[in-house]
Amino acid sequence: MVSTRVAVPGRRRVARRVGRYVLLAAVAVVFVWPFLFLLSTALKSATQDVFSFPPSLVPRPPVITWLRDAWTEIPFPRYLLNSVLYVLGGVPLFVLVSALTAYPLARMRFRGRTVMFFVFLSTMFVPTELMIIPRFLVVNQIGLTNNYAGVILPGVLSAFGIFLLRQSFAAVPHELAEAARLDGCGEWRVFWNVMLPVVRPSLAIAAIFGFIFVWNDFIWPLVVLSSDAKFPIALGVAYLSGISGTDARTLSAGTVISLIPVVVFFIILQRHVLEGAKGAVKG
Amino acid sequence: MGDALLREPSAVLVEDTVPRGRSPRRPATGRRRGGGTRPYVPYLFLLPGIALFGVFFAWPAVLAVETAFTNYSIVNPTRWVGLGNFTALWHDAEFHGAIVHSFIVMVGLLPFSVIIPIALATLVNRAVRGIQFFRALYFLPVVTSMVAVAVAWNYVFDDRGVLNWILERLHVTDGPIHFLLDQHWALASVIVVEGWKGVGTYMMIFLAGLQSISGDLHEAAQLDGAGAWQRFSRITLPLLRPYIAVAVTIELVNAMQVFTSVYVLTQGGPGGHTETAGYFVWSKAFQHFQLGYASASGIVIWVILVVLALVNYRITNRGEAQPW
Repeated sequence: MVSTRVAVPGRRRVARRVGRYVLLAAVAVVFVWPFLFLLSTALKSATQDVFSFPPSLVPRPPVITWLRDAWTEIPFPRYLLNSVLYVLGGVPLFVLVSALTAYPLARMRFRGRTVMFFVFLSTMFVPTELMIIPRFLVVNQIGLTNNYAGVILPGVLSAFGIFLLRQSFAAVPHELAEAARLDGCGEWRVFWNVMLPVVRPSLAIAAIFGFIFVWNDFIWPLVVLSSDAKFPIALGVAYLSGISGTDARTLSAGTVISLIPVVVFFIILQRHVLEGAKGAVKG
Repeated sequence: MGDALLREPSAVLVEDTVPRGRSPRRPATGRRRGGGTRPYVPYLFLLPGIALFGVFFAWPAVLAVETAFTNYSIVNPTRWVGLGNFTALWHDAEFHGAIVHSFIVMVGLLPFSVIIPIALATLVNRAVRGIQFFRALYFLPVVTSMVAVAVAWNYVFDDRGVLNWILERLHVTDGPIHFLLDQHWALASVIVVEGWKGVGTYMMIFLAGLQSISGDLHEAAQLDGAGAWQRFSRITLPLLRPYIAVAVTIELVNAMQVFTSVYVLTQGGPGGHTETAGYFVWSKAFQHFQLGYASASGIVIWVILVVLALVNYRITNRGEAQPW
């Protein structure tokens, strides 16, 4: 990335520019080193010391045995499939419920609107970690422990999704909805056929964050699942690291496998992810 | 979804939307056509949300309070114990330790939520080629799971890991530091991992803040002879103030619930030196099966958090017109 253009006229400006990239790259090392080392460990052969001093990033030669081992040592394909199921079940529900809740809060005037607003806002100030016990008791009472629905449902309602979409709905020009109403659309058709398509970019951002959350969620599945046949991938990796005597290379390989989907997803959609992280602030 | 990461940007929304919610300037279209709209329509839309709120927030909240006054556990028959759990917590040194550790985490994470992300946001707030790539790299840890991050950081912290190597090369240390096993270092190590993983979110918050500042201000100051540092401290920082308030609020909530990093890095060890409030609740409930006791501790922690959030709100919202 560092610009190597030869400095002819504005030598100082070029030097400054190079300096900036050097700084950017140096900071980047801090953020990617742990992941790079993880990847390199997963590819190091059995004869290469993982804990060489100084630490080495280059696998000589790179081997894929450990990736294969991790795949078979624990039921990795099963865990991956579970995570995919949690995403497929949870994310659409999350986006739909967020949109349904956000729409009237943004576009309708009704009795109790302010109360409703604060009710949904309050969910933000209850730390998940403190809710796990009573939520576990509830899920236990309705018989959803160790059940896919029990993993998915508690995460569906989130202040993040609601307030992200509320802002998008509020920004839609009201002539649009009005025109649809004059054409005889009911409120549902206005919502479904007019409003939802307009806020599609925000729906996408909500879906992206939903995916990241579901894929990485740890504490809730840990508490609610008793059989490892339903483990998501994050629990699978923790399980692998908990098996005493798991080789560092195998553990790294398993972790790398768990990271691939979310990292690839992030690389493709990073612009939207970053806009989502920022856009919510700008309003 | 209730995750910390997701909660973050939404906390930001509050500032902007609360006043708007009170005095909606936009015509709300639902009831505009006089009696034409059926008044129950908004509630139909809200129904799924309200149902989920009832089942997964309101009901658990009631249960939590109820359970906190019992000795509910897997083994004992449940018995009402009044304030017994709370008085026990009052004398429980382990619980005090957990609260203290959480406060240390809270303070320790502040630089990672304010100072460092402001520096990073300043660094990436330039329209140069490839800047998006660097922003993405700094944000990468945010989107990865804490479990994976912990596995990766185990190598960094290893006796023969890169951190010890750097320290030895710089002759700061003689032998390796056992970052995760030494009681003086373990909590600091957890803080570093938590901070490192979350800093990208705060960076984006402050980047939004920086981009909201008009370039004219800086230009005018520059014409008046203000240097770069002066412009930063007299213009940028005061204008970032609301964003700092938001970042600190988010940080408080997140710090109080640090759990996964402890679970995967140290399991609360060595000797309970990294046991945080969140970890205490979990271990009492799901390792010792004292659900009543754990619920009571959860409520105490929640009250502490609310008090802290209110104090923070009072401090950061006091005298908006005051100079920095």
